[in-house]
Amino acid sequence: MTAKRLSAPTLLLLPAVLVLAAVVVVPLCLSFYSSFTPFRLTRPETFFTFIGLRNYRNILSDANFWWAFGRTVLLLTIALNLEMLLGLGLALLVEKASRGQRVLRTIMMFPMMFSPILVGFQFKFMFNDNIGLVNNALQSLGLTQEAIPWLIEGHLAFIAISIAEIWSSTSIFAILILAGLLAMPKEPVEAARVDGCTPWQTFRYVTWPFIMPFAYIAMTIRSLDVARAYDIVKIMTDGGPAGRTELLWTLVARTAYSDARMGVANAMAYFSILLSIVFTVYFFRKLAAARTQIGAEW
Amino acid sequence: MEANASARLKRRVATVAHRVGLFLAMLFICLPGIWIVLSSLRPTVEILAKPPVWIPQQVSLDAYVAMFSGVGKGGIPVVDYFRNSLIISVTSTVIAIAIGMAGGYAFARYRFRGKSAMFLGLMLTRTVPGIALSLPLFFVYARLDIIDTHFGLILAYVALNVPFTIWLIDGFFRQVPKDLAEAAQIDGCTRWQAFWQVEFPLAGPGIASAGIFAFLTSWNEFALASQLTRSINSKTLPVGLLDYTAEFTIDWRGMCALAVVMIIPALILTFIVQKHLVGGLTSGAVKG
Repeated sequence: MTAKRLSAPTLLLLPAVLVLAAVVVVPLCLSFYSSFTPFRLTRPETFFTFIGLRNYRNILSDANFWWAFGRTVLLLTIALNLEMLLGLGLALLVEKASRGQRVLRTIMMFPMMFSPILVGFQFKFMFNDNIGLVNNALQSLGLTQEAIPWLIEGHLAFIAISIAEIWSSTSIFAILILAGLLAMPKEPVEAARVDGCTPWQTFRYVTWPFIMPFAYIAMTIRSLDVARAYDIVKIMTDGGPAGRTELLWTLVARTAYSDARMGVANAMAYFSILLSIVFTVYFFRKLAAARTQIGAEW
Repeated sequence: MEANASARLKRRVATVAHRVGLFLAMLFICLPGIWIVLSSLRPTVEILAKPPVWIPQQVSLDAYVAMFSGVGKGGIPVVDYFRNSLIISVTSTVIAIAIGMAGGYAFARYRFRGKSAMFLGLMLTRTVPGIALSLPLFFVYARLDIIDTHFGLILAYVALNVPFTIWLIDGFFRQVPKDLAEAAQIDGCTRWQAFWQVEFPLAGPGIASAGIFAFLTSWNEFALASQLTRSINSKTLPVGLLDYTAEFTIDWRGMCALAVVMIIPALILTFIVQKHLVGGLTSGAVKG
């Protein structure tokens, strides 16, 4: 086929496909293969030993792996739902503001400028049991006398991580939903008001269906990027105390780089990839459905 | 009359509630950042003080001076990290936006076979968690000898950014009515001219916001950078932050200072591009 025969969309998409194939698809094929070998970084020759499904069998019978997996799903469920709700609330608050919208929008985007690693560090600092802002404030207000071991006790550490995660990602929802609110034509809302809808009805039946695609775009972008929680956990607790906040991703990193067991780590990594794919496909379908609902061309 | 007064009261209560809600939300968003800035300016003694010192007694720039005073004098090679971060983020953003505009336009304007599948396929490449991708990349890069180079990280970040750049730009082109470009073409523009003269300016705000997203992703990325960089040749700021953590101690003040240095460019950039985000992306075109 000559270059002339390539259709316009093919040509336009070619660069994207090439880059992604080179950096993502091919390396992943390689890692998929190595998940069937006992590959260790320290012993390169093990790359060519084929052991079938042994890696997968090992991790599937490993309780630590399942705990990490369950914890990851729990964290994502809590975080994504709360981020969505808070983001919607924030967007509505900012949209209603009559003055200073520009400043408000900038402040709203503030957490997005923070690298996840920075978020982790900053909340580690704030939740520090000895010198952290949270404990200092609680003690100064007289709410508690002793230092609450935020990052040292398993459940509290999980809560602290969730808070950090929610703080850092709510603004993605807020900014995209706000973009939707601002792009929304004003006539339907005005018409609904004239027709005697209550504010709740106007929101539920006019505004919400319109901004839903934007909300799902935000959801999908987030679910593309769920693994950024790795950075936060890595620096806040590094999976501790005693593995109580170990997520799938920290487990993969530990297995691969600390234990140098690349083969097993790659097998685990495929579970984390699968998890992300499930989340993304789910929201992608929701997004497509929401788009058809408002009659956008798909 | 009675109904009037109560309605007025209700409205006032709603306004106050709105203001309070807004204030609290903004406070919660800003507090961690303010705390970091404050801590970077205080002596370590005050940060560690028990009972806590709320109002800074001494304010100094010592932490910044120490940080920039170079290796060995309590500093880290922050200038190198900064330069690496800047080169890598800007280059990868520009490339990702160029590729993303082409791809986004294709999705928004053309119909072709397997479009949905193609779109989903592109997105799925992005779902791969950084840490999972770092395993094979580490291996491949080691073979190609491009570990610890700018090129390696730029390549990885372009791939990381292209999918959702396409996604966002597609969405924003989709909101530009097709009729406008068609009208321009009827008036004698080529498709290329119609794109640059009509659709691009209208989708501009969207492309700008896609650019912000891409830049911030590269600027902030850690999982890949921590494995694919080794030295001041290519270490970026997020990786450099770890220089302040020793085995059991953390130099909180130094870390806070570096955190501020990391945030400032992102803040400036976002503030500049922000005005393109001003709303009603296409409302003018649709209504007018």
